[in-house]
Amino acid sequence: MLAHVIRRAVQAVVVLLAISATAFALFYAAPSDPAVIACGPKCDASQIAAVRDSMGLDEPILAQYVDYVRGLFAGRTIADVDGTPIACDAPCLGYSYALHEPVRAAITSRFPVTLSLAAGALAVILVVGVGAGFVSALRRGKPSDRVLSAFTLVGASVQIYFLGYALQYLLVYRTGWFALPGYTPPGDDPGAWLAGLLLPWLVLGFVNAAVFARLSRAQMLEVMHEGYVRTARGKGLSPLRAHLKYTARGAAAPLVQLLGLEVGALLGGAFITETVFGLSGVGKLAVDAVVQNDLPTVVGTVLLAAFFVVVFVTVADLVVAWLDPRVRLA
Amino acid sequence: MTASESAARTASSAAADASAPTAASAPAAAPVPTAAPALRVRDLSVTFTGPRGAVTAAEGVTFDLARGEVLGLVGESGSGKSTVGLAAMGLHDPARTRVTGSVLAGGTEVVGASEGKLRALRGSRVAMVFQDALAALSPFHPVGAQLAEAHRVHHRGTSRTESRDRAVDILERVGIPAARSRDHPHQFSGGMRQRVMIAMALINSPDVLIADEPTTALDARVQRQVLDLLDELRHEHGTAVLLVTHDVGVVAHATDRVLVMRDSRQLELGPTERVLTAPAHPYTRALIGAAPTLATVPGTRLPTVENPEPGPRAAARTPVAPPERPLADVTGLRVEFGGGRSLLGRRGEPTRAVRGISLSVRQGETLGLVGESGSGKSTTARVLAGLQRPTAGEVRFAGRDITGAAADTRLRRELSREVQLVFQDPYASLNPRRTVEQIVTTPLLVHTRADRAERRDRAAVLLEQVGLSADHLDRYPHEFSGGQRQRIGIARALAPRPRLIIADEPVSALDVSVQAQVLNLLMDLRDELGLSLLFVSHDLAVVRHFCDRIAVMRNGEIVETGTREEVFDRPAAPYTRELLAATL
Repeated sequence: MLAHVIRRAVQAVVVLLAISATAFALFYAAPSDPAVIACGPKCDASQIAAVRDSMGLDEPILAQYVDYVRGLFAGRTIADVDGTPIACDAPCLGYSYALHEPVRAAITSRFPVTLSLAAGALAVILVVGVGAGFVSALRRGKPSDRVLSAFTLVGASVQIYFLGYALQYLLVYRTGWFALPGYTPPGDDPGAWLAGLLLPWLVLGFVNAAVFARLSRAQMLEVMHEGYVRTARGKGLSPLRAHLKYTARGAAAPLVQLLGLEVGALLGGAFITETVFGLSGVGKLAVDAVVQNDLPTVVGTVLLAAFFVVVFVTVADLVVAWLDPRVRLA
Repeated sequence: MTASESAARTASSAAADASAPTAASAPAAAPVPTAAPALRVRDLSVTFTGPRGAVTAAEGVTFDLARGEVLGLVGESGSGKSTVGLAAMGLHDPARTRVTGSVLAGGTEVVGASEGKLRALRGSRVAMVFQDALAALSPFHPVGAQLAEAHRVHHRGTSRTESRDRAVDILERVGIPAARSRDHPHQFSGGMRQRVMIAMALINSPDVLIADEPTTALDARVQRQVLDLLDELRHEHGTAVLLVTHDVGVVAHATDRVLVMRDSRQLELGPTERVLTAPAHPYTRALIGAAPTLATVPGTRLPTVENPEPGPRAAARTPVAPPERPLADVTGLRVEFGGGRSLLGRRGEPTRAVRGISLSVRQGETLGLVGESGSGKSTTARVLAGLQRPTAGEVRFAGRDITGAAADTRLRRELSREVQLVFQDPYASLNPRRTVEQIVTTPLLVHTRADRAERRDRAAVLLEQVGLSADHLDRYPHEFSGGQRQRIGIARALAPRPRLIIADEPVSALDVSVQAQVLNLLMDLRDELGLSLLFVSHDLAVVRHFCDRIAVMRNGEIVETGTREEVFDRPAAPYTRELLAATL
């Protein structure tokens, strides 16, 4: 098992390095000159040259990448447009000349919003999605199964921007049942944090839960007929106990794997949800950076999203290996 | 068990067969049947209701199972024998199944009982051993924990340690060391897994044990061990056993009485010896005769359900004179799997599937390659077919070096003109989305210049050769039974007029009477077309019946090669003798 963990960790690091290299190469292949953007529209040619020099853009791309990777692990010093040095501690993601702050600081200030949104949505996915799938599988063909299946079909087919705005209109403006969505740090006022995020959680969670509900229902139905579930019933276990202990475990592997991807994706930012509810999270930061050609921020957010996906996919694989001892041999 | 013991058991249970069993003066070895049967089944019918209407799986089944008795429930697939076993446990899904009649297990009515009542019964008074232990045991939990759970469910209030100790005890009783109770099912061999299943079923000393094909997936020697273990435990616990099987050999070896089922109905019930020697029903007679035994005259036409008393075959097969050059020739073949370098630079041990064997198939002969699972016989066959690259050694076909066929698309293609395969599982080996015509004519499309009409004509001839008709050309595989599908597979193999047919367990997945039909067909085709065959099988009786020469494999090596008479009448290797002794 330990060898398996080490192997997967090494793989994860290799994948992240490859993604950072790709993002970095794209950064330089892009048709825009970072120095022009950093300097602003009013700069003349000599000013741009000065900026390019202070940013280290005249060095070979490989040297710049080595600097970038070193900054990730050991931190480095970056020159501002006017040449003043800026200390950037590890993990250094570069400096955003558009936001006038280090990329890491820009991300860190918005990450609590993304983390809060992801955690709540995940809870909704687990309870509503996996729970609905489990219940409909156990009650297959009965009215409750049909209702749940129809419900999840709606979830799978509806768009967040439609559902989000529609529910906000109905539940916030028309009836006032929900508070106006927004982010309050939970340390300041836990009640306001909860109230402000409740609707975004439900919308983001419900739309993503649909996939989990359908997958978990299909998985459960398949595993339900496995020999070991019948054996469990043959031992004298009640149907519910047999399904909880054996069917659910047999059905878990693909769900855990999909969940790993989902968690990684949610932590990388949920742009549409953040935009609909006016939340200033990492997803919005990333898309704004793309629009404004703020390349250090683009690379930083891409790397962050990739990091979470790789980490949680790896974690999911380890969980699957733990769930099913047969996987550990591979 | 000795022959006299067996006879005594049969005699004592003949007494039990009477509707009011008397306490017969049974010999010590046989448990004395008491007045109340362990399992009493009356007019049991099971109907599955599906979207396409109701299907009757069992109808009017009536029998008694005395304490300590073994009743064989025998029949072919679809006869309803497993349904009866499941009904005795009340394991049918009540939403989809209608069960009528009466099943009394130790005085408790199972039919219509509440879920709570059934739960108290299952695993405690009535327990079940399933066919495929690998599927029936949870892959996620250590075997010790699975056994302990079976104990704890029925012993509320016992501590976990106590249940665990009980699990370890019974595992040791079936010959599994205590240290292995923390291992998972996939870490055990097939025979050990089946012993784990038996231990799990017996942990609460049930009155009735329902064993559904408990040894079907096992090799002969292991099957023998498991049956013997089952018999010992039955004596220790006084458990009555309902042994569901399709195998007449198992019935003869292990049961006191036998109940024959066909098409969901009960056909015949009586003492095993009487039913086997003087069956009342022609179907039973066909079922018994269909499976070749080590006493069947080799090469004779086997009786089938359609033709219970076949005429003798036209001519006895004359042994082929060895020609100067063999058709297929394997020298010093070694095949290893795995053992590649891992990411961390360690080198794993490769699995040595075949460890340096030499064999040859002569023109016009049938070579039987026999061995237990994992002996390397299928790997050898795959090398000869050009599907597996050998690690070392040389393979020649008709004088040509084909060692590299697996890595050389052109060579493999040319080879497939001459060498064709018949596979084990007729359900998995035919593409469900292609018609019979497409399936059978594909080799013609690849290997001949025949146009569409010519190919169709040839396919029609081939189908008639294998006992199907030209009307079947436009149908899909799912419209055929297992035996018919295997015939389609044979027609496909015959299509390019190959010189060698490699048949890998071609009858193992089939019911005995279908197996007899397919063997009869292969024997006819062999005579008619002068085919050379490599016949891979684990079943010594089938190999003896069908093959001219036999090579016995064990752990990737050939332990013995010889003519049928040499290998079966005068086996040289101790392993061959062991295999023969275990064959029922």
